[in-house]
Amino acid sequence: MPVLKPIFQLDDFSFRFPESAQPTLHTITLAIYPQERLVITGPSGCGKSTLLYVLNRLYPHNCDGEVSGNVRIFGRISQEYEPGEANRHVATVFQDPDSQFCMPTVEEELAFTLENLQVPREEMPKRIDRILRMTGLDDIRHGVIQNFSGGMKQRIATACALIMEPDCLLLDEPLAHLDPLTAKEFVAWLGQLQQQSGLAIVAVEHKLELWGEFFDREVSLSENGAIQKDQAYTRRNAPFLPKRETAKQPKVLFEARDVSITRASKALLRGASLQLYEGEVMVIAGPNGSGKSTLLKALCGIMKRDSGMISGEFAGFVPQSPEQLFLSKTVEEELSYSGNSSPHDVKDLLEALALNPIAQDHPFSVSHGQKRRVAIGAMLADRRQVLLLDEPTAGQDLKALMELHHQITSRAQDGCALIVVTHDMNFALSIADTICLMKDGRLSAPLEPQELFSSPALLAEHRLYWPEKEESYATSFT
Amino acid sequence: MLKEWKLKEIVLMSLFGVVFGIVYLLFLHIGNLWAGVIGPLAYEWMFGIWFIVSIISMYIIRKPGAAFLPETLAAAIEVMLGNAIGPRLILSGIIQGLGAEAAFALTRYRHFHVGILMLAGASAGVFSFVYGYFLSGYAALDPSFVALMFTLRVASGAIIAGIGGKYIADALLATGSLRGYAIAKAEKGDARA
Amino acid sequence: MRRLLHEMNPSLKFLAVTACMLALAFFFNPWTPLMFFLGIVLVQLLFSQTNWKLWSLVMLPFVFGAFGYFWTTLVFGESGDGPVLWTIGMIEITAQKWEHAWSLSLRVLAFSSISLLFAFTTDPVRFIQSLMQQGKLSPKLAFSVLISYQFLPVLKTEFEQLQQAHRLRGPGAKPTPFKRITALRRLLIPLLAGAVRKAERAAFAMEARAFTGAARSHYREIKLGHKDYALLGMFSLVLALSCSAVFWT
Repeated sequence: MPVLKPIFQLDDFSFRFPESAQPTLHTITLAIYPQERLVITGPSGCGKSTLLYVLNRLYPHNCDGEVSGNVRIFGRISQEYEPGEANRHVATVFQDPDSQFCMPTVEEELAFTLENLQVPREEMPKRIDRILRMTGLDDIRHGVIQNFSGGMKQRIATACALIMEPDCLLLDEPLAHLDPLTAKEFVAWLGQLQQQSGLAIVAVEHKLELWGEFFDREVSLSENGAIQKDQAYTRRNAPFLPKRETAKQPKVLFEARDVSITRASKALLRGASLQLYEGEVMVIAGPNGSGKSTLLKALCGIMKRDSGMISGEFAGFVPQSPEQLFLSKTVEEELSYSGNSSPHDVKDLLEALALNPIAQDHPFSVSHGQKRRVAIGAMLADRRQVLLLDEPTAGQDLKALMELHHQITSRAQDGCALIVVTHDMNFALSIADTICLMKDGRLSAPLEPQELFSSPALLAEHRLYWPEKEESYATSFT
Repeated sequence: MLKEWKLKEIVLMSLFGVVFGIVYLLFLHIGNLWAGVIGPLAYEWMFGIWFIVSIISMYIIRKPGAAFLPETLAAAIEVMLGNAIGPRLILSGIIQGLGAEAAFALTRYRHFHVGILMLAGASAGVFSFVYGYFLSGYAALDPSFVALMFTLRVASGAIIAGIGGKYIADALLATGSLRGYAIAKAEKGDARA
Repeated sequence: MRRLLHEMNPSLKFLAVTACMLALAFFFNPWTPLMFFLGIVLVQLLFSQTNWKLWSLVMLPFVFGAFGYFWTTLVFGESGDGPVLWTIGMIEITAQKWEHAWSLSLRVLAFSSISLLFAFTTDPVRFIQSLMQQGKLSPKLAFSVLISYQFLPVLKTEFEQLQQAHRLRGPGAKPTPFKRITALRRLLIPLLAGAVRKAERAAFAMEARAFTGAARSHYREIKLGHKDYALLGMFSLVLALSCSAVFWT
């Protein structure tokens, strides 16, 4: 076997942000070789993204971080490179599909990369043609990037990275904003590209169940930013989430009948009807653009319905980014904003949602999980007993999912009714009393979770992916 | 000028330019409708709105050019959106931006307390008035009326742009999203001292 | 022919437009801005594909503004010399005042017409590329602006979502007029906070694609040729004819 020179070589490397007291990365020694498929894992906040940003040289330059030890990229000390110089050989795809493009169309965006490399103009069309063919994006050459879905944007971002002909591709949670089925398709597509081009792939990821057998090595970091394990990768199943005990009571809390919304002569919602019982948790699932968010907004009244009726308790809405609801300067003020709850009730809510330690913090500056609790608290303080959660599982790691699970369970036990919109069927199975499917603005009648999961046709029709199922097949054949 | 800037600062400054370009355009239309009713005076008391991005951007980034550039960009964005007075507006943007920048340059970019911010807003007002005097033909107006316009504009610059700009930037700082920019580091420094 | 103005080198067009405006500022007779306005509209009619319905809509506020200039100049304008044409209440309208009023309001229209010509016939991306290629604009600044420009639709969606979410929270315990003004701050701050995070991510994405701000090659070359100079000549002609009004009126 030929001895390969490492692409990255870290020796006793530590890294500290100027604003924090503790180092984020702790005495890391690591070598990454050509053609490897490596994944960096670890709990959130362990510094795995920071490590990735050290590899592509965005850090320490961009954050004035303090470093000790050495990073070598292709054998040369990292600091000796000019900004952007090492990036000719080390490409990166980031997690947010909306903030990595600067030109309007796919072709111009690809050309942007080539212009950075000072590729002569005459050579550009050839290279653009080749990469479009290789990535299967021929058809969208002149497409406007903004109009594509998140999954397509990530493919475009990957094509823009690969056109540099790099030796290594870094991925920073590239699936975070994609639904599971789109994510699976992206992984399969990426696997083929890697086999064709033979480049090394280093990814930061926590949703390993979506990657199948993709990786061959795993480096996991511990809470304090040191390497905990460096070993061969093994395929993961979706994490086990405990099945919630139902808290459903016979009393109807909320009802919607034949709700329809048409905007710009497009039917967004066609006669949606549902009933929610006290303590019930309903999951709504369906493809992107099928009208799930519109439904939630109609139910809580922030989008005007054209026809239909809604009765029962007031519904509260928690957007995917909960901070969109925030209007005040402290968490406590946020809960007492509407004046619908007495100071005493607000105190109780802060207690119940474990918000006391951050009661005087700015609601924008707390963690994502805390933000969601603040939003739920604000809705409850506004006397909204029906909670509508829009995509609360998107981009969340296991710890965050567990917290969400606990939160939903407690609220249902307190007598709220909840609707949760999610693509994560593993999560849905663990919390749902009933599941409704949505497609083209139509809402199905409620299904028992088991009904849905025993019908692959129904799952496929609504672009849903249920990992347990495939895995159990796979294991039964091997 | 941009040598010392990090790319993320340049992008942030540009993004401010874009966002405030839109805000400016909104107020321009409101102002235009009013101007039809009460004449050019309608603009004067709210003129500070059009200087505010200079103050916000400089207060956050604290590097030479941070007042001048976003103001110019905001004006350019108004033009590119196709709804504005056009290239003339870019010129006014440049001049207003220079006005604010001048105040910060005077203090060698060392102080960013509310007094300096108000001075920068007022200075933008003075610069823009001199330019407007020439271009819009204020010379044809009665001197006492011109003096009133001038006073209103400078006061508006100091109050709306100076104090208002600081208020917005401080509110933004409180959200925790400005970590890694000069304003956050300065605050930490103050806390230590 | 109908694409000529759209294809004109944007930097040169910008220069021409700016020069015209500066020149117009020296003229205080009503005929110069009027002729210039008509000339520019004619040029745009002949050499561009303009959505005139939209044009009229955008022009409308400026007509309002022009009207404002007209009557305030009559009321507050310097009296000046010349015979008094009318007297309305306390206000004497002299011939000079009358002329100034027309001149200032027509100037607003002249400025607006040439600005709209620029806006309606210029692709922002081409303009910035041209500024980079002909105007030696720093690529760092140019691409930062382009990336910000790409954010516009994203920010618009975010703005709408914020508005909807805030609608759910209602006006709060004690809505006062002052609180209504601060409602704008409540939309602006979260929007800006999101924008700050996006700016950083975008900057990282650019650097990760080997963008250094140093010299670069250009995929789309923005040319500067005979046609552009011919169009420049045409703008000069319109300007010269309008300015000559000084001599024959």
